[in-house]
Amino acid sequence: MRNYEIMFIVNPNVAEDEIDKINTQIEGVVTAGGGTVAKVEKMGKRRLAYPVDKFRDGFYVLLTILATGDIIKETERRLRVMDPVIKYLTVRMDEDMRRQDKIKAHRAKRALRRSTNAGAAGRPAPEQSIEE
Amino acid sequence: MAIQKQYYRRKKVCKFCVERIDSINYKDVKLLSQFVPERAKIMPRRISGVCSPHQRRLTDAIMKARNIALLPFATE
Repeated sequence: MRNYEIMFIVNPNVAEDEIDKINTQIEGVVTAGGGTVAKVEKMGKRRLAYPVDKFRDGFYVLLTILATGDIIKETERRLRVMDPVIKYLTVRMDEDMRRQDKIKAHRAKRALRRSTNAGAAGRPAPEQSIEE
Repeated sequence: MAIQKQYYRRKKVCKFCVERIDSINYKDVKLLSQFVPERAKIMPRRISGVCSPHQRRLTDAIMKARNIALLPFATE
């Protein structure tokens, strides 16, 4: 099971409930295959950087999904045939998340080591801010 | 590059290494557009001062953002 992020752009002229219908359809496809939808985020209407299918604005939706490769293939196929969806992008996030977790664990370990060292030497422990 | 410089050019540092920004996401257009000047071309490393692993990830993120119409391919 890998983490994926699917971002797609919907025709801005359709109604909000149409978009909700599309979202539930996609969620249905994912859960039917055995995956889970972690988050559905409607990012709202934005101006596109270049015209896509003659549209200048679009409604962005972001889905965070935990699934296998064939579920994603099926989801992309569905997105391609859906009329209101004009563009989609699927990104694999699991390696990035693993790398970030490793960095955070590394930093936490260093902070722990520094604080114990400072305690032994009698100096106050320095503040270690963990960037996100 | 030059023959002999009398003055010292200030040492360029990688913005991501200094601020410890871990993930360069294609979604934050504000961060990415700092490295994309007017013509929408990606700024080379020798000008922006980014280190090579971060430049690779930055390029990746910019290409993804361009594909999903968050950043333009070219502006006129």
